[in-house]
Amino acid sequence: MISGVFHFISENFSQALYLSWEHMWIVGVALLISAAAGIPLGLYVAGHEEIASPIINGANIIMTIPSIALFGIMLPLLSPINLGLGKIPAIIALILYSQLPIIRNTFTAIKNLPPDLVDAADGMGMTRWQRLKEVEMPLAAPVIIAGLRTAAVMNIGIAAIAVYIGSGGLGVYIQQGIDRFYPEMILSGALLVSVLALIVDGIMAWLERAATPEGIKIQRKLMQ
Amino acid sequence: MRKPVSTIYRALLMTVLFIAGILAQRVGLITYITDPYEYPVILDLLLRHLYLVAVSMSYATVIGLAAGILFTRKRFRRYAGICMYILGLGQTIPSLAILALSMSFLGIGTKPAIFALTIYSILPIARNTLAGIFAVPASMIDAGRGMGMTSLGILLEIEIPNSMKIILTGFRVALIINIGTAALSYLIGAGGLGDLIFTGISLMQTEKLLAGAIPITLMALLADLLCELLGLILVSKGLRLSRGEKAV
Amino acid sequence: MKKYSEFLSIMIIFSVLSFSLQAYAEDREITLGGKNFTEQYLLTELAGILLEKSGFKVNMKTGVGSVIARKSLENGQFDLYFEYTGTAYTVYFAQKDREIMADPDKVYQWVKKADENKGLIWLDPILLNNTYTVMMRQKQAEALGIKTISDLAAYVNTHPDELEFALESEFWERPDGFKEMMKHYGFRLPPGQVKKMSVGLTYQALKNGHVNSAMGFATDGRIAAFGFTSLTDDKSFFPVYNPAPVVRKKILDTYPQIRSLLKPLAASLTTYEVRILNSKIDVEHEPVRKTAEAWLRSKDLIK
Repeated sequence: MISGVFHFISENFSQALYLSWEHMWIVGVALLISAAAGIPLGLYVAGHEEIASPIINGANIIMTIPSIALFGIMLPLLSPINLGLGKIPAIIALILYSQLPIIRNTFTAIKNLPPDLVDAADGMGMTRWQRLKEVEMPLAAPVIIAGLRTAAVMNIGIAAIAVYIGSGGLGVYIQQGIDRFYPEMILSGALLVSVLALIVDGIMAWLERAATPEGIKIQRKLMQ
Repeated sequence: MRKPVSTIYRALLMTVLFIAGILAQRVGLITYITDPYEYPVILDLLLRHLYLVAVSMSYATVIGLAAGILFTRKRFRRYAGICMYILGLGQTIPSLAILALSMSFLGIGTKPAIFALTIYSILPIARNTLAGIFAVPASMIDAGRGMGMTSLGILLEIEIPNSMKIILTGFRVALIINIGTAALSYLIGAGGLGDLIFTGISLMQTEKLLAGAIPITLMALLADLLCELLGLILVSKGLRLSRGEKAV
Repeated sequence: MKKYSEFLSIMIIFSVLSFSLQAYAEDREITLGGKNFTEQYLLTELAGILLEKSGFKVNMKTGVGSVIARKSLENGQFDLYFEYTGTAYTVYFAQKDREIMADPDKVYQWVKKADENKGLIWLDPILLNNTYTVMMRQKQAEALGIKTISDLAAYVNTHPDELEFALESEFWERPDGFKEMMKHYGFRLPPGQVKKMSVGLTYQALKNGHVNSAMGFATDGRIAAFGFTSLTDDKSFFPVYNPAPVVRKKILDTYPQIRSLLKPLAASLTTYEVRILNSKIDVEHEPVRKTAEAWLRSKDLIK
């Protein structure tokens, strides 16, 4: 079986590569847009706690919707503007799914900042924007990136299901593998998705470390 | 500041539900569901879906808890790290793939679907059981030992109750993913609400799609609520309050 | 912080670049659609290769259901895909004239004319008939003396609990599908005995005994390979299904050479040949592209 998988991938190498790229493209675009939307939202919610609860609950509800249901709902929703099929509804659904980890992590990160540091920044005469840029963001970055990491790995798995609304990607191997009863194809699809997830997880873990300010790293080391 | 926001929020929710209701009627959802010929079919699919979820979650909970507890025992502790890693790895494999592979080896129908669902649901439960028990402060275990508790006693009266919150989270994650994955089991001939969803997609019949998508969403939301209630029952009050949880 | 913003800007540039590259309408770019069963993958690949060799950049979007494919063609998400005359006649145009649907030429002319008004052009039809078939394991069919669908209907009516049928949900619902077929032949299979699954799995289900009867496509190589027999449609329920490329008028006007590029398929692809190709793909698990290329080469249609 394992040799069958290697044989399959080597025989269909360019196709496997193309599908992997297609898969990552969908996830990548979705991640970028969700970050661009979710992080500012998380920041806003951290400053206005009254609407924290409804917004985070809302994101939680969206994430509870089973993936095939959300993908399916995109069809009638976007059909009137001819976008019901393909990558765009898949990307939109993935963006919706990523909101919870991103918003929640951003919120928690900002909320858990040492208040004395924030005070110190204010005391130094920084504006809201400067405080955000120089103090809050660098300190919150690792946790925010952790949220992005969760979202990314989750999306890579979910994107495989989007094949059923025509988005392409590695789900094609699973769909066709079922229909042609071709276990090696299914396994190749599953393996490639896992490998991608591991690579992305590794990259994001590195990013998390890289984003931790030196001072915090030293502080952590001293506390151990 | 609280009152106006929550009123706006509530009003918004009501409007959304109202519009959703009108849309549902326009796409023929209400007519479809209440059609006396279709209604029993939909109900049958719903029950079949619940069956798949219930059976696989039962197996998964038992096996998952057992596996998680096993790897926290002294003898197997060194394998715990590898175990966690493999469990994490397993969760990156798309649920669809596990269903499909299960079908390749076990054939078509309900059995391979339940097998795949069980396997996939074991992962979060086992992982969280492992993590939860490891997170119990050593001081508590020492105290228990000092009081003369046996290993089993420590497990039952200290380790499990203290890790209940994390275990419950794992259960909740497993349950919600299970409900969603069970929809995919239509593809390998196991029935369930996925039948309506996939038919709706391939024939672009929105009423069928919604007749499948909405119950499954409600099921997942109810499951989420159920888990919160379970949390109230199973997680001792002291732990809940001591974590200083906010309502988020 | 600096590393973070650097990374962010690289990612933004990357995604904008790849997004715009995707959306950029290159010279002679065409989107081919395809449905979710083997023959469709094959036909789309054949057309794709022929167009590619002539300098087109081909985007393939395969693996969707019939109605989605049709709607995608109508609203421009597909430029071209292979549709079957019978499917268009009975499903999209909801026509019921049995005389027209049984005649390959009549039904082709009818749908061609009807679609011209919608800005969709039917190119040369391939004269293979990929009709739905009702399959059984040969041995069991012989043992039970079932040769036609009427025989099956009679059997179900006398032994209602014995037969289990595997099909996909599209076939169940369509006007040329199972529900209507049961009406036409006067039998009713209890709902619990209808097993629905993904389209390609019906062959597997029949093969491993999960069901004793299943839906299939007439040109599928697995019918012969798995020892199945197709029951005769003695009451002529199913229309003729000849595949033809259906292309949007705008695209054809811009690239009229598409017609002549795809004509060789109509000339050379027969039911016999396509069965062999389908068999290579489904039974021998050859990659679709390799099979398509090999066949085109063997017919001297490409180098």
